Amino acid sequence: MFDSLFNALPVALQFGSLVSLFVGTLVGILIGALPGLNPVMAIALMLPLTYGFDPVIALGLVAGIYNGSMYGGAIPAILLKIPGTPAAIATTFDGYPMTRNGQGGLALKTACWSSAVGGIISAIALMTLAPLLAQVTLAFGPTEYFWVAVFGLVSIAVLVGSDISKGMLGALLGVIIGLVGVDTISGAERYTFDSLYLSGGFDLIIVLIGLYAIPPVLEMAEKSNATYYDAGSFKVDASGNALTLIRQHWRTWARSSLIGVSVGILPGAGGNLAALLSYNEAKRKSSNPDSFGTGNPVGVAAAESGNSADNASSMIPSLTLGIPGNLVAALVLGALMIHGLQPGPQLFTKSPDVVFGFMWQMLITAILLLFLGGMVATRLFAQVLRMPTALLVPTTLVLMAVGVYTVKGNMTDLYVMLGFGLLGYLLHRLAFPLAPVVLGVLLGPMAEQNLRLAMLLSQDDVGALFTRPISQGIIALLLLVLFSQVWKMLRKVRQE
Amino acid sequence: MNFRDIISGIAFLILGCTVVGVGNGFDAGAAYVPMGVGILMCLFSLSLIFKGVTQRLGASESSSIAVALIDHPGRFMATVACCLIYYLAMPTVGFYSTSTLFIILLSLVLGERRPIVVLGITVGFIILLYGLFAMVLKRPLPVEFFLVS
Repeated sequence: MFDSLFNALPVALQFGSLVSLFVGTLVGILIGALPGLNPVMAIALMLPLTYGFDPVIALGLVAGIYNGSMYGGAIPAILLKIPGTPAAIATTFDGYPMTRNGQGGLALKTACWSSAVGGIISAIALMTLAPLLAQVTLAFGPTEYFWVAVFGLVSIAVLVGSDISKGMLGALLGVIIGLVGVDTISGAERYTFDSLYLSGGFDLIIVLIGLYAIPPVLEMAEKSNATYYDAGSFKVDASGNALTLIRQHWRTWARSSLIGVSVGILPGAGGNLAALLSYNEAKRKSSNPDSFGTGNPVGVAAAESGNSADNASSMIPSLTLGIPGNLVAALVLGALMIHGLQPGPQLFTKSPDVVFGFMWQMLITAILLLFLGGMVATRLFAQVLRMPTALLVPTTLVLMAVGVYTVKGNMTDLYVMLGFGLLGYLLHRLAFPLAPVVLGVLLGPMAEQNLRLAMLLSQDDVGALFTRPISQGIIALLLLVLFSQVWKMLRKVRQE
Repeated sequence: MNFRDIISGIAFLILGCTVVGVGNGFDAGAAYVPMGVGILMCLFSLSLIFKGVTQRLGASESSSIAVALIDHPGRFMATVACCLIYYLAMPTVGFYSTSTLFIILLSLVLGERRPIVVLGITVGFIILLYGLFAMVLKRPLPVEFFLVS
């Protein structure tokens, strides 16, 4: 398996791949630097454009945007106390005070190096753990895959958000959206209401752009009053030597990256949780915890390495099991499916260049951050904050329209996207988490297909779903997640 | 907020019942999952309604301020309306012309009043799109009205 890993390196270093990594990282930093835009939206917008490309190039763009945006989010967090992405919230705690103390340049450089180190460690974790896990999952049959899909769906539904009912309803809504169209096993039409458009089912990318990219743009439009952030007026000094940074922060980087990698593997947990846990741990270990929150560079280093270390590791369950741990991982699965590749352990044997190439791409983009996120580039990217939101809204909507139109050249897709956008907006405002909906669309069909295959193989014996040892292990995990949440809920009720 | 839980619970209950009702007519194999999902949706929506009702009853003693569902209805509706007009006009007017007008119109609606900034960014963005889609990716987009023969 590891031979394939090294054989894929030349693929990741091809000219086309390198260009996509460069462009993706630049776009990622830009998107991350713009408050209101997020990596999920950027990747969802970028995916339709990659239809005609080689999968390696498409995934290179995804890798670049993901790693780039994690660092990009730190720029407004440090300069303006506005987290560019949710994962950059912990960066504001010490990053902004550093800017106020005249150390904005040092804070940005610390963030850049910390993001790069976190990303590198995470990519190494992906390279070493994913092939091993993939070998284990080769023993999985339809029963195990059914339970893995149910586990992924239920754990996201109960862990994300504050209300289990809302999470579950979101997940079930996603499953229903995924059911629309022709049933792949019996050929029967389901929920199509004799519509030719619906018989093809909803295109994943259109649902994703609608649910995830439109609501933040509508919120931006509501808040827009032609104002813009003036980050250009901030004095950014060029202090901070690389060797000094390494000497000062290597312990923090190692600890926070470990936290980030562990959080990334868990379903439902995201970069913001990894950053907050890393920040708290750095503060707890510090000899001077009171300095945190007043401009301590260790706080920036912990938050940034923590949130970036979550990136590649979140791909481990996605690539090996086909179960995305977060939305970017779901988009990576979407990208693979768009290019005719089926995620799961077979991917490692059928398309090793693509899957291992992607791992190298995650590593290369983390290293690229050191060059593209340097002082000159950072000064340049700080200028994107000057873009008026009143113009950012229509330009983003045009990008969505062109991206969705180019998928099939069908105008109806644009109305469907807007419809899902309004649904996403409404659900978001009613405090329904959107991640379970998207994962329901992705995992629902996978769960159904494997359940029906398992039933066919066992000649409709339902008991067969519970007898295999791996299935029993997954069911035990599922029950553990459910009971822990119910226990938390009961404790909360008792306290109230 | 609790009232919203009740309403959204009822909406999901109706959806769940519809899913079960329609799924009832499917072939046996194709019906299992839709029926199961529909039934689960009904159960969870009932739990949401129950929670909403109990919270509502509890909240009647102390007043609570509900957060608006839409912060700025005017801008929200204007943005959605502009999108619909944009999508309707695109097949006949053409992609680049409609997009140019859409960006200018929506930015003005949203409060941008600096003509040079609006025109500069719009023209630059459209040129970028043209370069990417027409020259690099060569993707067919709705043809401009002045180019239709």
